[in-house]
Amino acid sequence: MIELEERTCRSADIAAELERIGGRLMLLFVTARDSGRELCAIVRDGDRTLALRAPLTGRSYPAVTPRVPAAHWFEREIHDLWGNVPEGHPRLEPLVRHGPEPTEIALPGNGEASAAHRGAERLSGPGVFVFPYGPVRSGVFEAAQFLVQTGGEDVAYCAQRLFFKRRGAERRICEVPLELAVLVAERVSGTSSVAHALAFSHAIEAMSETEVPPRARAIRRTLAELERMYNHVEVAVRECEDASLSVAQAQFAALKERLHRLAGETVGNRFLRGAVVPGGVRIDLSPDGVERAGELLRGWERDYKRVLSMLLETDSFLDRLVSAGPLAEHDARDFACVGPVARGSGIDLDARRDLPYDGYGEFPVAHHTDGDAMARMEVRFQEIDASLELIREALGSLADGPIRHEVGPFVRGEVLGAAESARGETLYWLEAGGPDTLRFCKLRAASFVNYGIFNRVFDSQVLTDFSFIEHSLGLSPAGCDA
Amino acid sequence: MIRWFLRGVSHRRLTTRFPRSPEPAPAGFRARALLDPDVATQDAERIVQACLPGALTLDGGGRLRLDASRCIGCGLCLEACDDGSIAIDPGYELAATSRSQLAVGDDGREADISPSRLGGAFRRSLHIRHVDTGSDGAIEQEIAALLNPYYDMHRLGLFFTASPRHADVLLVTGPVTRPMEQPLRRTYDAMPEPRVVIAAGTDACSGSVWTEPDVQGGVDRVIPVDVYVPGDPPSPIALLHALLLAADRVGEVSPPRRERAVSGIDHNRVGGAV
Repeated sequence: MIELEERTCRSADIAAELERIGGRLMLLFVTARDSGRELCAIVRDGDRTLALRAPLTGRSYPAVTPRVPAAHWFEREIHDLWGNVPEGHPRLEPLVRHGPEPTEIALPGNGEASAAHRGAERLSGPGVFVFPYGPVRSGVFEAAQFLVQTGGEDVAYCAQRLFFKRRGAERRICEVPLELAVLVAERVSGTSSVAHALAFSHAIEAMSETEVPPRARAIRRTLAELERMYNHVEVAVRECEDASLSVAQAQFAALKERLHRLAGETVGNRFLRGAVVPGGVRIDLSPDGVERAGELLRGWERDYKRVLSMLLETDSFLDRLVSAGPLAEHDARDFACVGPVARGSGIDLDARRDLPYDGYGEFPVAHHTDGDAMARMEVRFQEIDASLELIREALGSLADGPIRHEVGPFVRGEVLGAAESARGETLYWLEAGGPDTLRFCKLRAASFVNYGIFNRVFDSQVLTDFSFIEHSLGLSPAGCDA
Repeated sequence: MIRWFLRGVSHRRLTTRFPRSPEPAPAGFRARALLDPDVATQDAERIVQACLPGALTLDGGGRLRLDASRCIGCGLCLEACDDGSIAIDPGYELAATSRSQLAVGDDGREADISPSRLGGAFRRSLHIRHVDTGSDGAIEQEIAALLNPYYDMHRLGLFFTASPRHADVLLVTGPVTRPMEQPLRRTYDAMPEPRVVIAAGTDACSGSVWTEPDVQGGVDRVIPVDVYVPGDPPSPIALLHALLLAADRVGEVSPPRRERAVSGIDHNRVGGAV
């Protein structure tokens, strides 16, 4: 459970207070109370997690973003959803709400740039234009749009437009019966179902002070690491595809498929859904199943190591990734990046270790300082090794006993739940409305913060490296948009 | 590069024989719920309460009804039911050519799957354009998996295309969020006739766990749909089955002619390894 250090200040002081505390901004949101609206910031500073609250008295308050850049998307979201105006925000354009008029939608070949494009323009001159790429992109991709400003080869500026996929997950989590809400959380980012279910369940368990049985914790770790592995391998598949290494792509795709088949056999869903629930897990592992999983993973590891060692000796792959899409450490820190994106840029953080849950023991947190696409890939490869070890440990230490405890009535009003997905720290802030109902939910997938630096990694990059850089960040539009 | 080539050709065949022979799902796979029409369940109310997307409902006569186009295969109905009226189908082949074929009729049974409206218009090759209208992101990976050596959809003459102008099939994922309504319509309008629309995944079929006002609640609220394939997400085999159903090629026993004609090269082997 995450203990929060509570503080209150005036909304006029919150920006200064956040700057003084320093640390990493995890969440910034507005919530409605009986006494009125409140601005709430969750900050991680060293080993502490602080909740800073500021009652909002008027329609506007001094923006946090000029002092704490990590607040930039949070404040635009607040402006879109609540109408409160962060005065002095450098770029207060719509973020999560799209303009309803069709003219606001990017139309390739339109002589006149739409209002949404104008924000993307940084340069002007003959031959410089904005190329809107998406939301329907060539190939099989999720809906997202990139406004690439270019004169041809160099990327002058690249702005990201997301939230095409906003399905109202936070609203649905509060609307549906509590025992079914985890099904919604699993579907926020379908490739990180386990991590979202875990973060949500951790919050519910903290609210109701429910203990998770040891056997369930070991099963949860197994599933979470299996999920991390197939997501990391997916990034390798995409990067090999971009480098036109068809054999390597096919081999990594086959390795990924084997993990999905193992998932399908183990829990009945290829993306591990329907297993994690508040209070424990729904699906037990049989001794035969444990043995078979161990055997499959041993064979998998052998084949994976062989393909990986070949890949890391292939110049045409390394040449494209080394020095592509550099993310400076101060940018990663300023914008509060998480997951492999942060760890590839020299920031040492991992929710499994920093906000411990489900009995994770000692494990090496992958870490790299180069900050380029290759560094992010190497972090992922190291994490696959760690995941294999964690699964071995978890399956070896399966205690007998129940796999699920009943979730009792809520005894706490407001809690934060966290889990480390393959993409980074995933957060659920929940507020209870009664003993078994939720009044408010604010969720933040890792991709929400990591997409925030998308325009920063294209400095002096070329258009042909676009897909390498994009895939090296390994982001999920579905999770970001929620 | 030569090492990759050798590695590629030395790899054993992985590719499924589907559709020439069926591909069974692993035991315990949760594809969708099944309702036994011969059991009058006592647990109907509990079952209905356990079903988040509303696949299981009570009709006017208090009888349990199932609409599989809403089912996410969570299996909670099975836990709420003690008398065997509910089962979970582990099958992969779930697609149908109308939503009503996925729902039980008045006789308590599901109708047979009728052929696709335009199936005969296509021959041995289909070009597919994918549009995401708000999926959870997993189904895109299952669609991309159709290119991996296990499924290798090229052997069946199925290809992805970048432009809707070349496309025969529009493969739509997601429950259609408001901002994606217009791009979906525009992509559909850009396609030449004849065209087939596949709603892929439970959210594209019916909206799944998502509701208005954020989503439309299914692709057929925006454009006409020819094939529905539920699943959360549908497995690659389910997607292959849906594509073959769209082209009226389900039950196809012989491989495409081209594949046999090239002498000396076993396309399946190369396809499986490269």
